[in-house]
Amino acid sequence: MEAKKIYLDYAATTPVDPEVVEAMIQCLGPDGDYANSSSSHFFGKSAKVRIDTARGQIAARIGAEVDSICFTSGATESDNMALIGTMNANQHRGRHLITSTLEHKAVLDTANALKDQGFEVTFVDHDEHGVISTQQLATAIRNDTVLVSIMHVNNETGVLQDLAVLGELCRERGVLFHVDAAQSVGKVPLNVADFSVDLVSLTAHKAYGPMGIGALYIRKGMKIAPMTYGGEQEWGYRSGTLATHQIAGFGKAFALADPDQEGPLLAARRDQLWAGLKVIEGVSLNGHATKRSPHILNVTFAGVEGESLRTSLADVAISAGSACNSDVPDPSHVLRGMGLSDALASSSLRFSVGRFTTETDIDYVLSRVREEVLRLRELASGAPDWTVS
Amino acid sequence: MDYEPEVKKRFLSPNRVKSFEEGIVGVVTGESSDRTLNVWVRFQVQAINGLIRAIRFNVYGCPYTVAAVDWAAEWLEGRETGALLDLGMIDRRKELGVPVDRLGKLLLIEDAAAACQKKLERLTTQDGN
Repeated sequence: MEAKKIYLDYAATTPVDPEVVEAMIQCLGPDGDYANSSSSHFFGKSAKVRIDTARGQIAARIGAEVDSICFTSGATESDNMALIGTMNANQHRGRHLITSTLEHKAVLDTANALKDQGFEVTFVDHDEHGVISTQQLATAIRNDTVLVSIMHVNNETGVLQDLAVLGELCRERGVLFHVDAAQSVGKVPLNVADFSVDLVSLTAHKAYGPMGIGALYIRKGMKIAPMTYGGEQEWGYRSGTLATHQIAGFGKAFALADPDQEGPLLAARRDQLWAGLKVIEGVSLNGHATKRSPHILNVTFAGVEGESLRTSLADVAISAGSACNSDVPDPSHVLRGMGLSDALASSSLRFSVGRFTTETDIDYVLSRVREEVLRLRELASGAPDWTVS
Repeated sequence: MDYEPEVKKRFLSPNRVKSFEEGIVGVVTGESSDRTLNVWVRFQVQAINGLIRAIRFNVYGCPYTVAAVDWAAEWLEGRETGALLDLGMIDRRKELGVPVDRLGKLLLIEDAAAACQKKLERLTTQDGN
């Protein structure tokens, strides 16, 4: 088969949609809406219209009020703002934060930083599929718990948490609820009105928008402490000149990201891939068979060393885990947290399909994976049992 | 991860993989592994009259490990059996383009070769008796 290069790492980032590119170009160049949207002259107002339009598009996509969308540089900053800003602004209520061991590093590292500053953090457990136990969360919530932070779609396994149930529990107990929804938009429905959620982290670049721009949904009426000062933009939560072109692209991307339309198409590609992989001996699925997003597939290839498999599949863009951690040879903390051994976690790959993935792409990837798994298993013939358990 | 061309070449097309057929004269097997390093190495050495006539190997490990084992097998073939204790993987590391944090994996290759040498010595002693 002719050598190709196939991208199956849409969970890491997505190509910018051509319509999004066009929306961004209109905000660049001498003939575009390039001005500072804080300026009161005609040019500034024109740029502000772009910002307001985008803000409306993003709000509509998640069922939020327009003035609850605060622009940031991306989901990592949004996560930081949500956790640090909320805990700092609510110390009169307590100093306890709850999250899970399976969160993205942007949440875990922020939680640990808060711990170093004297806040208390509880990491709740989950089942072997990576689903958070409502009972465990209920037990963890205390009188001094301020915030619970749980991601909607796990970035490594695609597992979906039941936000409605978790959110309701938080609301009943008077605890604020933050959701990292970086992987959600365009794949699964996300409506803040359905979830009793107070803060939601969003990003553009995983939904065919540009990198470097995201948002934090802040429910109207709640306060967080700002982390960036100087200019009072975004109601003082996040000062700094707004990047009109990025925001315009963000808005357009979210306007195009229809999970009802795109979800089934992604699921079809993912299922095509899984149908071909599961017949290979020693292959197992990581995550939940049904409570999952349509675009992510995390698979263990027992007896095949992970770095070797990824290197062998140099023509296929995939990930060992979070892209943020791809170059680090440590096994995925998510898979380890779900009970996989170091060997099996290291032998796992994350495939993630997207808008531009074709049936032919999947067929090609399947043939390449089969070829390399066979080669590496032959190379490791006679290896000890720990390589497969 | 960016690999040196030599590492890539040896990893993608290793020679001397698989095992000798059953019953071949003069073959000993030596292996070593470390679960924490995610490495397992097995050499099969055919030695006749104190010379390494042929080597085969199997390996579970990262591309650096595979490449280093392939290099070791190539280097050993044709040498005296004493060379099984002279691999000197620490000195070979830079030559092979292996990062220093992977040195532990290379030392396991030495251990597997040394295990073969031990078995050959035992065989020689038995023959001597």
